[in-house]
Amino acid sequence: MKEVLGKVVDVASAKFGAEYVEIRAQKLFKTMLTLKEGRVEATKQGIENGAALRVLVKGAWGFASVGALDFETLNEGVTDACKMAKVASSRLKTPIKLVEAESVDDKVQAKPRKNPSQILIEDKIKTTSALSKIILGYNSHIKSCTIDYLDLTGTSYFMNNEGTCIEQDKLYVWSRITATASEADVFTFSREEIGSTSGYEVFDVKTPEVVGEIVARRAVEQLKAKTPKGGTFPVVLGPEVVGVFVHEAFGHLAEADLTLSGSILLDKLGKKIGSEAVDVYDDGTIDGAFGSYKYDDEGILAQKTLLIKNGVVVGLMHNRETALKFNAKPTGNARAEDFRVEPLIRMRNTFMQPKDYSFEELIKDVKKGYYFKSFRGGQANLDGTFQVGIQEAYEIINGELGEPVRNASISGNTLETLFKVAAVGKDFELSPGRCGKGQTAFECDGGPHIRVKEMLVGGSA
Amino acid sequence: MVALKQEELLSLAEDAVSFALKKGANEAEAFAYQGLTTNVVIERGQIAKSARIIDHGVGIRVIANKTVGFAYTNIVKRKAAIEDTILKALSSAKASKPDEDWVSLPSDKSYASVKKTYDRAIAELHPEDLVKVASTMLDAAEKTDKRVFPIEGGSGASYLSKAVANSNGIASFDHGTFVECSLATIAQQGGEVTPVCFEFNTERNYNINPEWVGKEAARLAASALKARKTETKNTKVIFAQYAFQELLYFTLINAVKADFVQRNQSAFKGKIGETVASDIVTVYDDGLLDGGMRTWKSDGEGVAQQKTLIIEKGVLRNFIYDNYTAKKEGKKSTGNATRAGYLSTPNVEATNFHFTPGNKSPEELISEVDEGLLVYYLQGAHSSNPASGEFSVVATPAWKIEDGKIAYATKGAMLAGNIFHALKNVSAMANNERKIGQLVAPWIAVENVKVIGK
Repeated sequence: MKEVLGKVVDVASAKFGAEYVEIRAQKLFKTMLTLKEGRVEATKQGIENGAALRVLVKGAWGFASVGALDFETLNEGVTDACKMAKVASSRLKTPIKLVEAESVDDKVQAKPRKNPSQILIEDKIKTTSALSKIILGYNSHIKSCTIDYLDLTGTSYFMNNEGTCIEQDKLYVWSRITATASEADVFTFSREEIGSTSGYEVFDVKTPEVVGEIVARRAVEQLKAKTPKGGTFPVVLGPEVVGVFVHEAFGHLAEADLTLSGSILLDKLGKKIGSEAVDVYDDGTIDGAFGSYKYDDEGILAQKTLLIKNGVVVGLMHNRETALKFNAKPTGNARAEDFRVEPLIRMRNTFMQPKDYSFEELIKDVKKGYYFKSFRGGQANLDGTFQVGIQEAYEIINGELGEPVRNASISGNTLETLFKVAAVGKDFELSPGRCGKGQTAFECDGGPHIRVKEMLVGGSA
Repeated sequence: MVALKQEELLSLAEDAVSFALKKGANEAEAFAYQGLTTNVVIERGQIAKSARIIDHGVGIRVIANKTVGFAYTNIVKRKAAIEDTILKALSSAKASKPDEDWVSLPSDKSYASVKKTYDRAIAELHPEDLVKVASTMLDAAEKTDKRVFPIEGGSGASYLSKAVANSNGIASFDHGTFVECSLATIAQQGGEVTPVCFEFNTERNYNINPEWVGKEAARLAASALKARKTETKNTKVIFAQYAFQELLYFTLINAVKADFVQRNQSAFKGKIGETVASDIVTVYDDGLLDGGMRTWKSDGEGVAQQKTLIIEKGVLRNFIYDNYTAKKEGKKSTGNATRAGYLSTPNVEATNFHFTPGNKSPEELISEVDEGLLVYYLQGAHSSNPASGEFSVVATPAWKIEDGKIAYATKGAMLAGNIFHALKNVSAMANNERKIGQLVAPWIAVENVKVIGK
């Protein structure tokens, strides 16, 4: 493989005068299951081989993706990429340059305790079926249960014309579990995700019993829940919601490509955007976490990147192109979903650092507010407007948890809201998820419980 | 780079079916797919990239003793790799459990013809042409307003072809073209940054208007400046197509899918013949719509696509089906099986979800509003409750309408409600129909939507 890739890199440099050339060749294997009400809809296996060829010619990017790994195909691909770059360069105003990076020669092997590719499909069906059974058997209000399971294993080869050559194993185990419940004309929905880069052993902790109970109970509990009043309230956010809040409301704006596109953080570097208690990291080095890896898709070693310290923006997430523009070091955030697409700046494991409050201390001063425990989805905008849909919530009345609340969502503006973080808890939890930015990236979000002085709560009509 | 020809794709699929039968499958189906895409990418105000993506592969579904197995590969040049994939599909089926509801793969081979789905001019576009499209759009945006910054966008052309073959004699080939240009913008003034605004054209024939896209993307961003918070109250809301599409995608469209209905996940279960929307709402799922984004001769299982009446003057008439969900009820598939290329088994999905437009111009629609909102884009629609239809989203940006005129842009207003109630409160449809993903609709006015401001 190494020899073929080397030859292709040489073609781009010698024949087309490319300033930069990289090849990312992948051999991937996937196993997927979908269960609906315990019925295995289909058992699926997939093999994908392909390569992404990216070049800089005359300061413009050229990219080609091909679905084969022989020299002839790769050679055609890199030729295509160089020609495409030349065409794009015709209207270029500012040539693209990359920050210098150390060259690396490394081989990274996954060392799972239970390698998903060695586990029989029958066992995977057994585990997911057991989970399904627990959810459906929880009580008669549960109407449906969908389980998606995916494991991905394989190898990614990275080579560029600066002497970097990395062979890196890929390993992901993921599952999404959803259930619906209904009673009279109330429909509720509950979702949970499992995700790991360590191996199939994740199911030893996230057992069908543990996960099934969480999903089913949440769906059923919401049946009795009331809908919240819309308006501004003090709120306590659970680790999962803090995670998605940090990810959506701040994280995306701190992806340096989006910062450069005009996100509200552009003129806030080194400035205070939140209360003293707020520290935020994006960390690619947490062992086994769903957003971890050793090298990113530009061959840069993943780092633990401090983004906010005591409320001050101290860092952004970079690829080699944006690092140069900000005169910063690359952080190893360039990730591509697979060989069909180019690397983009993506988050890894993003979280708020825990501090010193207990949960009881966080809620005790709230007279009338909400506790948002688990989210359904979230989205942010460059102007700092964020929205997080909530799937599990409770009232807080006079410092104590009250009745469950359904279909709430929270919204606000990042710059206003981070200043309203009044107290940060001492617990900590990281949850796996998938983030969409044109491509899907596996990541984690998390943090402790926090209290926010006030937030806009969207109720139901 | 040489593309796989019609005969090659078809024989790839047919050979896979024969091999699967030989190796013991009771039934087999193969879906061979090829996508050739050329893109030109705008990043932060300039054309910075160009890309060519070639993706092809074959997905094989086998049925053995009522168990279903599936495998795919993108290694199509080596016969051994394909045969290995078929064996994987069979081993998948063997590992699985029987499905008593499984009847058989589809067998009907008659197809209607479709129009304006393939344009040679798109298939033969050069990257240079796409650079021209992108720069026309960029120039138009920059000329429109100096406060506007084009953050990303570009132009692209694709040629897709697919072949489906199965052991009941289906062997269908179809191909199509797509061309698009899009631009996302923000506007900045005195420290204020607008939310991202966006405009685009996508067509199956080569008739996009990059100049209009550029101008409109810039106009929207500029008019989103000087945004103000609005108060909390129930008002009339006009949904532009983007916003409406987002809301429907996670709610109404799921509610009419047979698998959601059969699995008790649809608020429409048992409601055929009942009034579910205001009487000005008529909706077809039209898989044969001229030039539709989801128009194909046959669906992902090789079943003929068709035009299905979903809501007639407010009354629910039909659900949409694929082969499996149809046979489970002793019905015929409505040609709504969709696949994610060769990578997935078929799923029930809407084709072109077509709301019959009204007669009023969008300006007339606005002029009839004493107080309300015009909502272009939403944030957070994907966090709607898919089963109940309840939503709680942010309108970013939206424009306040006062006395029949657009008064100002609003900041961070939330909309909360239930899509199924909202459908009953639809009071007007404009005549400005357009295609946004699977939705084909005009602007739609809904009465009494809860707007949460400050």
